[in-house]
Amino acid sequence: MIRNASFAAIRGTAPIGIFGIVLIASMILWLPEYYLNIAVKTLFYVGVALAWNLVGGIAGQFSLGHSLFIGLGALLPAAMLLKSGINIWVGMGLAALVSALLGVAMSWIAFRFRLGHLFFALITLAFGELGLLLVLGTEYLGAASGLFLPTGDSAFESVRLNFTGQSFLTLLAGALLAFGVCAWVVRTKLGYYLGAIRNNEDAAQAIGIDLFKYKTIAMVLSAILSSILGTLYARYSGFVDPNVYASPLIIVEIILFTVIGGLGTLWGPVLGAVLMVPLGEVLRGSFGDTLPGLHFVIYGLLIIVVIRLLPDGLIKSLRCDPARGAQISAPRRAAAKADI
Amino acid sequence: MDILFQSVLQGLLMGATYGIIALSMGMVFSVSGVVNFAHGDLITLSMFVAFTLYTVLGLDPYGSVVITVPVLLLLGGALYWFLIKPLAGRPVTVIQLTLGLMLIIQNVLLMVYGGEFHRVPSALENQFLFLGEGVVLRVPQLVAFGVAIVMSAALFVVLGFTDFGRCVRAVHQNPRAAALVGINVAKIQLAAFSIGMALLAVTAALLLPGTPLHPSDGLRYTLVGLLPFVLGGMSNFLGILASGLLIGIAESIGAVYISGTTGMALPYMMFAVILVFRPQGLFKGRS
Amino acid sequence: MLEVTELRAGYGTADVLKGVTLEVRRGEFVALLGANNAGKSTLINCLSGTLTARGGRIVFDGVDLTDYPSHRIVELGIHQVPEGRQLFAQMTVLENLLLGGVGRNAKLKKKQKLEFVFDLFPRLAERRKQVAGTLSGGEQQMVAIGRALVGDPRLLMLDEPSHGLSPLYVQIIFKAMDDLHREGLTILLVEQNLKLATAHASRCYIIERGEIALSGVGSDLVDDPRVRRAYLGL
Repeated sequence: MIRNASFAAIRGTAPIGIFGIVLIASMILWLPEYYLNIAVKTLFYVGVALAWNLVGGIAGQFSLGHSLFIGLGALLPAAMLLKSGINIWVGMGLAALVSALLGVAMSWIAFRFRLGHLFFALITLAFGELGLLLVLGTEYLGAASGLFLPTGDSAFESVRLNFTGQSFLTLLAGALLAFGVCAWVVRTKLGYYLGAIRNNEDAAQAIGIDLFKYKTIAMVLSAILSSILGTLYARYSGFVDPNVYASPLIIVEIILFTVIGGLGTLWGPVLGAVLMVPLGEVLRGSFGDTLPGLHFVIYGLLIIVVIRLLPDGLIKSLRCDPARGAQISAPRRAAAKADI
Repeated sequence: MDILFQSVLQGLLMGATYGIIALSMGMVFSVSGVVNFAHGDLITLSMFVAFTLYTVLGLDPYGSVVITVPVLLLLGGALYWFLIKPLAGRPVTVIQLTLGLMLIIQNVLLMVYGGEFHRVPSALENQFLFLGEGVVLRVPQLVAFGVAIVMSAALFVVLGFTDFGRCVRAVHQNPRAAALVGINVAKIQLAAFSIGMALLAVTAALLLPGTPLHPSDGLRYTLVGLLPFVLGGMSNFLGILASGLLIGIAESIGAVYISGTTGMALPYMMFAVILVFRPQGLFKGRS
Repeated sequence: MLEVTELRAGYGTADVLKGVTLEVRRGEFVALLGANNAGKSTLINCLSGTLTARGGRIVFDGVDLTDYPSHRIVELGIHQVPEGRQLFAQMTVLENLLLGGVGRNAKLKKKQKLEFVFDLFPRLAERRKQVAGTLSGGEQQMVAIGRALVGDPRLLMLDEPSHGLSPLYVQIIFKAMDDLHREGLTILLVEQNLKLATAHASRCYIIERGEIALSGVGSDLVDDPRVRRAYLGL
């Protein structure tokens, strides 16, 4: 029942969607190089934010360890290309596989016994840091100095597309993939189950939803997407710095974007990234020398403002969004107040 | 064997400070159910305040507690009252908020103090204690250990034997009954948070001598407190302290026997392994 | 002493209390009866300040405490023995009792009141070092009542104290309540058990679906057919 409705909905919005995508893709033709680079970065963040949102927002499990997947996707294929000569696309697939397995492992450790969101956030943070430390210590993955990927090897030289343009399209594809997966999840039974889990785990378990199975599915999907996006972006940026890709700090950025946009919604992460990344780049460009890190301060301030004023993010406050597993329902909030 | 003994001893010393950091997290958590992910950054902040006090007034870091403790008490109290308390009952939102706070503190410090490492010299910095066959301990670490143990003991005494301590435990065990008994729950939560902050300020002063200071240290301190906090079952204070010592030892052994960053990963690996077998932490129940 | 006027309260969108009016005079032993979900606990929680009323007033000795936070209400002398005991299970009996005396006014007389409680419930004196969670239901109830007494209350409210207790302990508890009443303590008892309530309380209210349906002296109510209907008809 839900499937038919979703396909009908997709069929309805398809023309607009395709038009929009073509429009965005055309940016490579008219957007100046500087802005195109910002756009590429934005698309990367849109993608990873969507991927994270699958676990952190839609399923309601606050993971701070996704840097493992992104880092793996960024470093492993690059390392394999540079040191073992393995094609980067093969590497990407392998990294995605390893990420998926890591995702299962992390899920198993964390979700075996139902120990709460805080516990999950804490241990995923620890795992993220563990991953960073291990990467920094592994020569094959570039240790602390990172890896340099040759850029500019464009297979499409003949079609007048420079490397930035090609990367833009690749990352657009990646972001669309992430979006597509999220949209698909939200509209199917999986999304429904995840929303139920997010809203009230006890109730969900009581009606027979296998908590562990669905949380793990969300985690694996999210891991694979994060890994792929990591590879694509690493390929574009050329220098793969583990302290950027494999550090929990990147996840903090992503979480902030997603929450500002709207945690758990379909478009929230998109909106958040699209607003915040260019803002950050502009700030970095103007103030980078005099006030390093200003954009991070702004990010932090914005999230505090958003949390206090628009606790459910921009999307929900601006318009209705057909995403499941919405806010804590009003009666429960009142009851919570009544019980101290 | 000597090296092992030395590193275990050193780990024990450091572990006590990690235990205090974790205990301050535990204090806050046990009465309000929130964990401040900017916890470590408040330590860094406190350290930088001490640094400024040093550059402006020539104050030794140990002496700076006189100022940093009240500063952090005020700051922490304000933080709790205006940002965290209004979000009571939504711990995930508090996580988001404190993550934002982490970014703010780290980067404001970066903007103000720049990205190089700073050092705050202390009178005790280069003193050593020689213990028998080739075991050398740095005095600042000994001082840190001593103060940390004293603070922990004080905390346990207060919690176990005073009216205030009983109120704190009551709010932790049954907030509703606590309110019915006449406890001002909000005040107790504020007090617990403030105590946590004061502990952090003292810990910062303890850790400062001989440590290169950098704005991005915060996350490391948060993590170093978080590991024992989780291993201690999040509310068993004795367990948290013991876990702190354990983490300290693991870190020390890792640094000595395994080179480089992989060595630093040892406590985390131990953490992960322990969690596989006992996700609820090593210890259970409440102290 | 206590006057409740047109009190409205609830959880979520619906109101559980739809306009309750009752009063408890000084020195009285009043019972509030009703079936499950009639609103008894909701009312008592409003009186204790753990639930905010949506309408109406609560006046205690001339003080309007409708919007007071719970700790201030306890300070004024209204103490609740909650449903299900709600002890601090990991603390000892003594610690639980001591916690009854943490309010500002209570500190001075704490020691005295502690002795009083041990006189009333000698069992507790024996078990003062035992962890509260390991006591039997009846003993826990004694601790809960004792805890409320240590603070020297002026109005003692009990929410279904007989619930889940063996007949022996029910007897002990209610005898204690009689003793306390005789010594001048004002008591508001919330109960489901009609017989028990009417046997000890001087006056009863019956609450049905959020409103006071009946009130009167115990013996009258027991024979009143409307009471039977209110309880069994549902």
